[in-house]
This record gives sequence, C-alpha cells and structure tokens, in this order.
Amino acid sequence: MTALGGLGTAVLLAPLLAPLLAGGAAAMVGWRRAVAWSAVAASVVILASGVLAAVATTDGSVLVVGDLLRADALTAVMLIVIGGVAVIATWSGVGYIDQELAAGHTDARGAGRYGLLVPMFLAAMVLAVLASNLGVLWASIEATTIVTAFLVGHRGGRKAVEATWKYVIICSVGIALAYLGTVLVYYSSQHSGMGSQGSLDWTVLVAHADRLDPGVMRVAFALLVLGFGTKAGLVPMHSWLPDAHSQAPAPVSALMSGVLLSVAVYALLRYRVIAVAALDPGFVRILLLTAALTSLALAASMLIAQRDYKRLLAYSSIEHMGLVVLGAAVGTPLAVAALLLHILGHGLAKSVLFCGSGQILALEGTTQISGVRGLLARRPVLAGTFALGLAALLGLPPFSLFVSELALARAAADAGLGWALAVALVLLLVVFVAIASHGAGMLFGRPPAVTAPPGAGPATAPVPTAAAVSSILTRTLVRPQALAPVRTAAGVAPLVTGLAVLAVLGVVAWPLDQLLRAAALIAGTP
Amino acid sequence: MSDGVFVQILDLVCGGLLLSGVLMLWRRELVAIVRLLVVQGVLLAALAVLLGVREQSVELYLVAVGVLILKAVVLPGVLHRVLRDSGDAREAAPLVNVTSSLLAAALLTLVAYAVSGPLVALAPSATTRALPVGLAVVLLGFFVLVTRRHALSQVVGFLLLDNGIAATAFLATSGVPLVVELGGSLDLLLLVLVLQVLAARMRLTFGRTDMDELQELRD
Amino acid sequence: MTAAGVVGVLVQLAVVVGGAPLLVGLMRQVRAVLEGRAGAGIGQPWRDLRKLLKKEAIRPEGTSWVFTSGPLVLFASTLVIAAVAPFVSTASPLDGVADLFAMVSLLLLGTVALTLAGLDTGTAFGGMGSSREVTIAALAEPTILLAGFALSARVGSSNLADIVAGTLAAPAQVLSPATLLAAVAFAVVVIAEAGRLPVDNPATHLELTMIHEAMILEYAGRDLAVVELASAMRLTVLLGLSVNLFVPWGVATSSAPLALLGATAVFALKVGLLGAVLATFEVFIAKWRLFRVPELLAGSFLFGLLAVSASFFLA
Repeated sequence: MTALGGLGTAVLLAPLLAPLLAGGAAAMVGWRRAVAWSAVAASVVILASGVLAAVATTDGSVLVVGDLLRADALTAVMLIVIGGVAVIATWSGVGYIDQELAAGHTDARGAGRYGLLVPMFLAAMVLAVLASNLGVLWASIEATTIVTAFLVGHRGGRKAVEATWKYVIICSVGIALAYLGTVLVYYSSQHSGMGSQGSLDWTVLVAHADRLDPGVMRVAFALLVLGFGTKAGLVPMHSWLPDAHSQAPAPVSALMSGVLLSVAVYALLRYRVIAVAALDPGFVRILLLTAALTSLALAASMLIAQRDYKRLLAYSSIEHMGLVVLGAAVGTPLAVAALLLHILGHGLAKSVLFCGSGQILALEGTTQISGVRGLLARRPVLAGTFALGLAALLGLPPFSLFVSELALARAAADAGLGWALAVALVLLLVVFVAIASHGAGMLFGRPPAVTAPPGAGPATAPVPTAAAVSSILTRTLVRPQALAPVRTAAGVAPLVTGLAVLAVLGVVAWPLDQLLRAAALIAGTP
Repeated sequence: MSDGVFVQILDLVCGGLLLSGVLMLWRRELVAIVRLLVVQGVLLAALAVLLGVREQSVELYLVAVGVLILKAVVLPGVLHRVLRDSGDAREAAPLVNVTSSLLAAALLTLVAYAVSGPLVALAPSATTRALPVGLAVVLLGFFVLVTRRHALSQVVGFLLLDNGIAATAFLATSGVPLVVELGGSLDLLLLVLVLQVLAARMRLTFGRTDMDELQELRD
Repeated sequence: MTAAGVVGVLVQLAVVVGGAPLLVGLMRQVRAVLEGRAGAGIGQPWRDLRKLLKKEAIRPEGTSWVFTSGPLVLFASTLVIAAVAPFVSTASPLDGVADLFAMVSLLLLGTVALTLAGLDTGTAFGGMGSSREVTIAALAEPTILLAGFALSARVGSSNLADIVAGTLAAPAQVLSPATLLAAVAFAVVVIAEAGRLPVDNPATHLELTMIHEAMILEYAGRDLAVVELASAMRLTVLLGLSVNLFVPWGVATSSAPLALLGATAVFALKVGLLGAVLATFEVFIAKWRLFRVPELLAGSFLFGLLAVSASFFLA
C-alpha cells in the first residue's frame, strides 16, 4: 500500500468529482460555451489523475480510498485511456454542438441534455475502473447504458429511436447476464472458506481464486463473457453496436467506441485473472478465443460491402475489440501489455475518426460512402486528418497500433496459438483491404460535379466571376457546407493532437513502458 | 420457524415464481401480463422475508421492503402508464405461437435444471435446490424478449429476466452485498424509466409500439 | 377377499353408477339457476335414461360390430375404474389393480372404442367428431401421465391407494409446488377428457363445435342410454379421481361399515361440490376455438412437466 495518503485520495476522487461538477453545471445553466469547456476541463482532470495514478502505481503499489475505490497500474492505464479519449471527444464536442444548434438539428434543451449526460457518462466509466468491488464495477457499467441512452437518441427521428431501443434492450439484457455471473461468483466465494460472508472485492477474490468452485465458476465466467461481451460489442450480442454508433452524435460515438467498449473489456480482464486461477485455463482461453475470432470474422464480412462510413467505423470497432480479446485469450504479460496499448491506440484513433466523420457529415449531409467523393481535394486539412486516422486504425507505422498489433502477434505465437493468429491475420487482411478501398473512395475519387468548383473556392478568389458563381452554388445547393467551414481549424485541432499523440506513442516507448509492464503483471498470467 | 415449514413455504414461493413466469408466456393481454409481474414482485419480496426470518437478518427485511416497492408497485405502475398511453391491449403477433412457446418453456425449464447441476452441487440445501427455478425464470424472460414484438412485451421480458436473477441471487447467496443491491435497483429503475420515455418517443415517431417498425437500420 | 371388502367395492360401484346421472343433473341445474332458468331438476338425466332404455336401439345401415360394441366397451372400462379406484375406501380388495397408469389406459380404451364407433358410421359428423376427439386425447394423455408421474414420484408408487394414503399421512404435501402444478395440469386434462367447456360444449349440437356429441350422433334408444350413462360415469370418475388425489380427506382407510358410510357421504359431497364449482365456472366462459385447444393442453403439459421436475429436484 502506498503512503501517498491525502494525495492518493485526491487522485481517486478528483476524476469522479470533476465530471459530476461539469454535469451539475450543465444541469443548472444549460448549454453554454463555458459549460462545454468545463467538460473538457473535467476530461483533463481525468487524464491528469490517470497520469498521477500511473506515477504512483508503476512500482506495483496500490491507491485506495475506503474499501470502495482502488487504483493499481491497470486502473491507471484505463484512466489514461478514458481521459485521453475524453479530451479529444469533449474538445471537438464544443464545436459539434454549436454546429448542430446553428444547423437546427437540435435545440437548447437537447444541447443542455448533452452537456449533462456526457460528463455523467465519463463519471460512470471512471467509477467502473476505480471500483474495487466487482458488483460496483457491474453497476457502473450498467449505469453507462442508462446515461448514454438519450445520447444515442440525441438527433431524434425514426432511426435514432430504433437505434436507442435496440441499444438499451440488448445492452441491458447482456449486462443482466453479467449480473447473474457476478452473483454466481459471489455464491462460490461464500463457499470457498473465506468466511461465510463471501466477498466481491477483487483483491480478496484473487487471493482466494484457487479455492473457488470450478463448476460454478465455469457457468459464471461464461455468463460474464457473454454479458460484458455484449457491452464490448462481441459476437453474438453485437447487433446494437453499428446502429448505436452510427446514430449517436460523433463525440459520443467516439467515447462509446474508444472507451466504453474498452471498459467492458477491462471488466473481462479483471475476471479473467480470477477465472484462470479457479478454472482450467484452457476453458477460459477457448471461450475468449471463440468470442474474439467470431467477432473478427463478422466484422471482416460486414466491412467488405459497407455503404455507410459511420457504420464502417463501428464494425471496425468490433474488429479491434476482437483483437483485444484475442490478446486476453493469450493472456501472457506481453499480450496484456500489448492489448492495453492497443486499447489506448484504438481509443485515440477511433475518437479522431468519429469526430472527423462528424465534421464530414456536417459538410456533406450524408453518411453514405458513395455520397462522399474527392474529399481530399475539397477539404485538405479535414480529409488529411481523416486519412491519417484511417492509416492509424489500419495499423500502419508510425502509429502505436502498428506496435501493439505486432506485439499481440508475437505474444500469440509465443503462446502456441499460431493457428488462431493465422486466422486473425487473414481476417485482418480482409479488413485492411475493405477499409482502405472504402477510405480511398471517400478521399480521392471523382468529386461530385456540382461541388467541384467550390473545392478550390478560397484559392481562386482573385478570379471574381468564378468565385461569385461558386459561392452562390455553394450557398444554394449545399447548405450545410455554408455553415460548417467557419470552424474547420478549431474543429481539426483536437484531431491533430490525437494523431500526434498516437504517432509519438508508436515511436517512443518511454512514457508508457513501465506502466504497461506493471499493469501486465496484474492482469497477465504466465 | 421449523425446517419443514420453511422448506414448504420456500418451495411454494418458488413454484409461484415459476408459474407466474409461465403464465406470462401464455397470456396475450398486456394488462394481465403486468398484473403477473406484480404477483412476481410480491413473491420475490416474500422470498426475501422468508430468508430474513431464516437468517434473522434485518438487512434482508429492508431489502424485501425495497423489492416490494420497486418490483410490485413502481415498475408495474410505470408499465401501466405506458399501456394506458399506447392503447394497445394485446400482444398482436408473437414470433412463436403460444402452443410452441409453452412447449419451449418446458424445454427451457429442463435446460435450467441441467445447467444448475454444478450450482446445487456446491452447497446442497433446501434453498440452493430451488436454484433451477431462478434460472428457469431467467430463460423464460430471455425467451419472451426474443419472441415478442411489442415494445412493452420486451420490457416485460427484461423484467422477468431480472426477477429471475434476483430470485437466483436470493436463493444462492441470500442477496448480494447491500451496495451492489442498491446500485442494481437504482439502475433497474432508471432503465425502466428510460424505456418508458423511449416507448413514448417510438409512438410519436412511428405511430405504434411494434418492433416490426424497427427495420430501417440494417446492412 | 373379505366380505367387508366386497361390500366396499359394491358400495362404491353403486355410488358411481347411481350418482353419475345425478351429478350431471346437478351441474345442469346449477347452470340453469345461475343463468336465471328454472331448470329440469337434478333427477332429469335419470328420467331421460329411463325413457331411452324403453326405446328400440336403431342401428344405421352398414355399421358393423364396432358400432355395436362401442358403448359397451366404454361402459365396461369405466365400470372397472369405478370399481377399483379408491373413491370410498383405500382398503378395497381390488387395490392391487388400481394402478394410475392402468386407469389412464382404461380411460383411453373407452375413448378409442367410441371414436372407432364414430368412424364406423361412415357419416361426416362421426368422422369429424372422432378426429377431434383423438386430437384432444393425444394431447391430453401425455399430460395425465406426467401429472400422475409427479404424484407417484412423491410416494414411490403408482398405486392410487398408496398415493391417497401418502397424502393422508403427510397433509402438508398438498401445498408443495409439485402437487399444486400437478393439480392444475390434472384439472385441465379432466376438463378436456370429460368434454366440458372451454374444450367442448356438452349442451350443443352445432356442427362447427361439437366433439363428443358428433361421435354419438347415430346412437339411439338403449345404445344411447348406455353411452350417456357411461359418459356421466366417466365425468364422475374423473372428478372423483381429482378430488381424491389432491384432497383425499374423508376416504375410509378400513372396511368398517360406519367408516364406509361416512366416506360415501363425504365423497358424494366433495364430487358434488367440485361439479357445482365446475358448472359455475362454465357459466362465465365461452367455448374456445378448436385451434386454441392445443394451447390449453400444451400449457397443462408444461404444468405436468414442471410438476415432475419440481417433485424430483425440489424435494
């Protein structure tokens, strides 16, 4: 236990309180510029607490507050992921909501609700990773479903209602199954000789894991994989994910894809440690491998003929969660370190891409891939960041996903899972081709006839007639485009920051190296 | 309370839970189904009281009161309101007809017995021997959820599933730690309220609350 | 076989055969009173039988011995059940034969005889009624077996007297889930087998709905009297079985004359009460469409299955 004392308490409480305060402010005064920035500030607080917690726990020590909150190196990694993705998402959310208000897609009430719910969402996820009690972990993941329900349905209309309904029903059922699994874990802990009371405290459970009843734990772990797997978007209960991600506002999609899925995987990682000790490790591995490979296969097959770029990103999330769970199935410290880095890299890349896709949607007014052509010629900055984001997502160097995928592959090969690795690599190849071809179509391609001249609009300003014609065309024919460009620079800033961090993480191992190693010792099993 | 009487009442309550679950599959009138949910809430509270008497635990009495208020009064109340607003009285066309549903329910019960084998084996006692009942209710809830097309029926299926889990928790562990119980109940309440709002929105945008309308998002 | 035992069996036979038409009359009377009619009185079925017995039995042209023997087989099989089942006393000398599964087979034997007779007439109504009756019987038999299985699992014997005695010895058993579920399943099956609402309407001759009446449409005179009496006995036997399996109090455990007398009175009272309740229930419901009948029977099958599993796993 650490001797940080007061500072430790502050590090654990600050990331919880900061979003709650930001949410409270939004609830009181409604949507304001300052409120939007307070959400960004709260995200920064989460990130800073994550870094502080990382500094404190890299040596293997643990921060605790009472017996409810607890942070070790694994928690610190997750806090950094949440903080990092949240900074990008809330930062671009500032401009996003302004745009929505200006375009009339939402009203003051909707914006106020957004301002309240996004920080609540962050608080619920922070509580999930800080909870030392697995029951509280479960309850806070369930709470994320509730707070995000109205965020998914933010835009209103038939599709949003449909997506929200599916999201809430499927996720609640999944998470209810996880509750059943939690209850069974508690049941077996009551009969494991740790006193008649039993416990759901993670440390206590890990200490007594070898005495938990294998028969009960087998049922429990299967339920937990199914339940938290629902929330992580794993097959077979994945069908909410593409709908919810494609309908939610871009920053919320970024948060859901980048962090919410990972928090569910984090829960699985915690339980895996217990399950491996209590059960035959082969069973755990086969279960996770099945979930991982089927998810990968599904994502690959759905990506090939995808027509909607937000759904494309959503299926890519399923694919990456499949990879991460593959790492969990391998389970060696190297694999765990790699999967944590992958979670971080995927979170950042996905938030960049979803926020970027939000701006593309505002510009083009469609989510159809075929409706977006020649973006690079017309919006070089935005399209450039989007292209780099796709490159990062596909695991090209110098971005960190390249490193983490390589490490995952090595870990799988070391663990004698060559066949699974081979299957995964073939599927990844399919994914690569699918995303690359769709992305190339959007970025290059032949620009639609009408909008071709305005693409070069600002540059050709000296020619008066052409400029006049093009601006009239733009204003009359492509209304959203007339509203959007004002804030392009401000809108792209968070995305560029995210990409820069991704590239740095891919090139230099230093800032995270120690932390990942410490976290891998906690969640990995040799 | 003597052992014999305890086991007798326990079996009776569990039998009632299972029976009300099966009847929910049988009935088509949504009002009747919601009424069955009330019955189930009362039975769950009775189960908590019974275990409280057995273990002389004040905490379980409090949980019982909470369960009674939440599952027998508040949640059915919310559903009644949705029902009154929507005006649909019946589950129009379940995907699986009632006869097959009932036979499937028979099958699911047997599955529940098979799955709960290791659970009972860990600590055989009167309470754990009733565990299959809890799991069977969970499976029935799942079945309702998958095969019913009305929005309210899906919520009912979810609540049935949740009741099954609550029953399993009571039977296996005499309830989970209080903080988890509180968190779970709060989540459940909020969730049902969210679903109520969603059902209202669905009616506003689609004109009816049938899942057949939800066909737009697909690949 | 002691003389007292023989007396017990004879008393039981007399009660069932003599009481069955009265039970039917009682149920009709209850229904009539509840519907605001005067009713024909409890004794009317006996008067009908007397009238029918005086008439000539006309048999349709082209029918074979199957048609002739149908009523007799039905009557005989029901009579056997009436003799051996523990309605009045568990100490009957015929106890060894009173096996639950044998009773079910005997019930089915009567059903089969009547359906074959219905087919033998070669008329549309007979065939239709037989087909419906067989459908219902095929759905009902598994349930009755399951419910019986649940009850016999408890005492470890499928002997009816043992089951009744077991319940008498441990009255609290009646409130166990297994017994309650079995009771519900049994009740549904009894309604289906006896051809009562909502499965069949015994008072109708509407071609779309009738089941039992369609099968026996061609019988007349003495034959019809036998069929009517056998059907009434069947109802009595089914109701008697259900009261004694689930509420056995009052059954005599010896063959002492006084005990037999008391048990007879209690039995008549219980069956009469159940019949009255059933008739009251029938006032408030309509006959279901034939397509919904499988639903009802699937439900009772489920209850039977739950009863079996509950009796094995809970206790």
